[in-house]
Amino acid sequence: MRSLKLTVNGTPVVREVADNRLLVDFLREDLKLTGTKESCGVGVCGACTVLLNGNPISACLALAVHADGGQVTTIEGVAEGDRLHPLQEAFLAHGGFQCGICTPGQILAAKALLEANPHPTRAEIQHWMMGNLCRCTGYYKIIESIAAAAGATGT
Amino acid sequence: MAEASRTGKALGQPVKRVDGVAKVTGRARYTGDFDVPGVIVGRCLRSPHPSARIVSIDTRQAKALPGVHAVLTGADVPDTLHGRLCRDVPILAKGVVRFVGDRVAAVAADSIDIAETALELIEVEYEPLPAVFTAEEAMRPGAPILHPEKIEVGAGAAGGHHAELLMYPPIPNVISRLRLGHGDAASALAGAHRVFEHSFTVPGVHQGYIEPHACVVAIGADGIIDIWAANKGPHIARAQMAPAIGVPENRLRFNPVYIGGDFGGKGSLMDLVLCYHLALAARRPIKMVMTSFEELTAGNPRHSASITLRTGLDHDAKIQAIDARIVFNGGAYAGFIPGPTLHGYSELAGTYRVPHCAIEVLRVYTNTVPRGHMRSPGAPQVQFAVESHIDMIAHEWGLDPLEFRRRNAIAEGDPTPLGEQRRHMRCRETIDAGARVFGWDKPRPPGVGRGVSIYEHPSGSSGRSTVVLTMGKDGRITILLGAPDQGAGFHTMAAQLVAEHFGLSMTEVDVVLGDTLSTGFESGAGGQRLTMTAGQAIADAAGKMKVMLAALAAERLNCAPSDVRMDADGSFSASGTIIDLKSLMDWAASRGKASLSAKGESATKPPDVTGFVAHFAEVEVDRETGQVRVRRIVTAHDIGTVINPILHQGQIEGGLVQALGQAMCEQIVLKDGAVITALLGDYKLPTIMDIPELETVLLPGGPGPAPFETAAIGEMSNVAVPAAITNAVFDAVGVRLVELPVSPERVLAGMSEKADAA
Repeated sequence: MRSLKLTVNGTPVVREVADNRLLVDFLREDLKLTGTKESCGVGVCGACTVLLNGNPISACLALAVHADGGQVTTIEGVAEGDRLHPLQEAFLAHGGFQCGICTPGQILAAKALLEANPHPTRAEIQHWMMGNLCRCTGYYKIIESIAAAAGATGT
Repeated sequence: MAEASRTGKALGQPVKRVDGVAKVTGRARYTGDFDVPGVIVGRCLRSPHPSARIVSIDTRQAKALPGVHAVLTGADVPDTLHGRLCRDVPILAKGVVRFVGDRVAAVAADSIDIAETALELIEVEYEPLPAVFTAEEAMRPGAPILHPEKIEVGAGAAGGHHAELLMYPPIPNVISRLRLGHGDAASALAGAHRVFEHSFTVPGVHQGYIEPHACVVAIGADGIIDIWAANKGPHIARAQMAPAIGVPENRLRFNPVYIGGDFGGKGSLMDLVLCYHLALAARRPIKMVMTSFEELTAGNPRHSASITLRTGLDHDAKIQAIDARIVFNGGAYAGFIPGPTLHGYSELAGTYRVPHCAIEVLRVYTNTVPRGHMRSPGAPQVQFAVESHIDMIAHEWGLDPLEFRRRNAIAEGDPTPLGEQRRHMRCRETIDAGARVFGWDKPRPPGVGRGVSIYEHPSGSSGRSTVVLTMGKDGRITILLGAPDQGAGFHTMAAQLVAEHFGLSMTEVDVVLGDTLSTGFESGAGGQRLTMTAGQAIADAAGKMKVMLAALAAERLNCAPSDVRMDADGSFSASGTIIDLKSLMDWAASRGKASLSAKGESATKPPDVTGFVAHFAEVEVDRETGQVRVRRIVTAHDIGTVINPILHQGQIEGGLVQALGQAMCEQIVLKDGAVITALLGDYKLPTIMDIPELETVLLPGGPGPAPFETAAIGEMSNVAVPAAITNAVFDAVGVRLVELPVSPERVLAGMSEKADAA
């Protein structure tokens, strides 16, 4: 066990965790932030994507202790209160999801993309989002949603 | 009461999903997200052998491990077998295991780590037995029999029109044999000018939903068993589960959940019965979440198939007869599908005028992963064969494949190959609309090939829907539904239809998903039926409510109900006086009628109109490596009224890319009966990098069979895509692929074979 200090969605958190506790279990079970999903468990599907210090990572491959001292953003921290993030609005307006299970990961990966590259081309969107699988949409509307959000953020 | 035509205020609008905000904020709760007080986890130990006798199981060390609450083996659970039609699935293996992944023992523990450790402490001694992995092997005389005991078959195992169905016929390991046809195919083939015969093989693929199967069972002190399950049809699941555990249906409460993708795969009980027995034994609520490894190796993926087709043509290259033999590998258990076999045969060659047709369908047990339903069950396998076969015939005859299809396309007045009559046959129109946009006749660059593939499928009518509409005194309507939205947009579609019936806007309709104790029977998604069944149930309830509203309005306006007119905006008028819905309901409330409620049910009549689709693919083949890249797809759809263009297009795009996966990269690979594509890194789902340029062509104006002339779209987009791609590969390099997927190895081998022959 060790003591873990980090910021999750802007809120300071201090917890005792086992050395081998995975970040995804820490978020879902210890903090009850179930918006982060787990599927493949081997870092392929991207459903568990969260941001650590702004970078997208697979929470199923990272240890919780890896996030010590860092800032973690999960899907619960993307909207500001009831005001949705432009990406959330764009996914809603453009049909960027159906069942929604991969959506938290898609939105966080896309958020990191727009922060790194506010006006990505279609090819840049595809290249960046390669690690986030979606079985429902066929991806076309995910690309459309991200492109629309990039236009809307106007940065 | 007279009624105005529809407003289109909600119907046809690209409205946002009613479950959208919950899904983009992470608030939507899927089965694995529920935190029931006192819940612990369940895990199961699975067989490493494809076929073996269990000699002994020692669970003493596992039971002694701190944090373990229960350990079960086959000896601890009832002998009851369960299944959707064929009841052949044991709760835990009883003496024998039948596939690598069969459930042998189960543990309830405080954590996954403890449960996993306990599983490792269970000692099982097996005596391996002979096994069969392919359907052909399994049917041979003397083959080892997977289920020697008599299997109980539930009600409803009917072959249908012109069909002869035998359940468990006297052929080794055959679950069902269906023979059906129309006319006299044997004589027509004997008298044909030319006869063509080809065989095809289609491997199994996984539904690929990102949410693995999960369930939670909590046995309440009040005798109610609370269930949360990743199951798209909770009323059907309840009806299967009640007899399996010997508890009346009304003591099972399936609670509302979000479903993380289904694609046909989430209609079985999967771990639910086992989860119940763990909860009983441990006296604690149990949560079971399958790992991705378990999903891929021991879920219920699509059936693999081998298909042989014989087609006879007359002197004008017109089809005279088709004879088909379809063999589905069903794996170790038949109980994962609701019917005797898969329906893919029923649309076999439905796009063509076929005067004589004979079809035999066999579904066979093997010592492999049990197979289930996936998006248009059986049809992608059959249609890959049919649309490759048609292409091969066209080339062998020397006709352009598009021209061959146009010449034989079914048209108004033609019976289907199975002898049914349908209206509004726009097959040729759909082909032509797609071909125009695709540019079929344009010259091809070197190394580029083009292929076409077509399909026909009526809207589904196989299930039943029940809805309850309640109108409050504020004029708002709530629709109560009995099955989750697995992603395709059922709940949003329902809200749009309700709004349209009453001239309301979407913001005035609330959707509530109830549990199985508070809702009427709802089959849920499957067989592209909800547009029909839910649409009909909503229309039924809306009609009843309008009668009540007209009676209220007549009372308010002092006239006969027959004199009341309901306008498109939902207001009522009689002899020049108008009252809007809200004022009417407000007035009713002041007279003690606070709300109105109406229940609606679907009709069960199958539709007499169908739908067509034509896909066109352009591929580029690397002659050095055999790598095929799909550059462009044009998909043309014969449609009805579109309820929501975003959802509609989402079905087209999602189905298409799912089919692209089946065509290009997905395959359940078996080695000695075990699935070795066991992680998502090995089982390749298409990524965002793999999608081709896509153009969709819609032929509107079709008389959809559902209310407001709407029609299904969910299973139209995926079925015929793989053959369009393989036909394009043939066009590019002259290599005919009779097996999926399109691997570089197969293409390269085909090219070198051609070079050797030249």
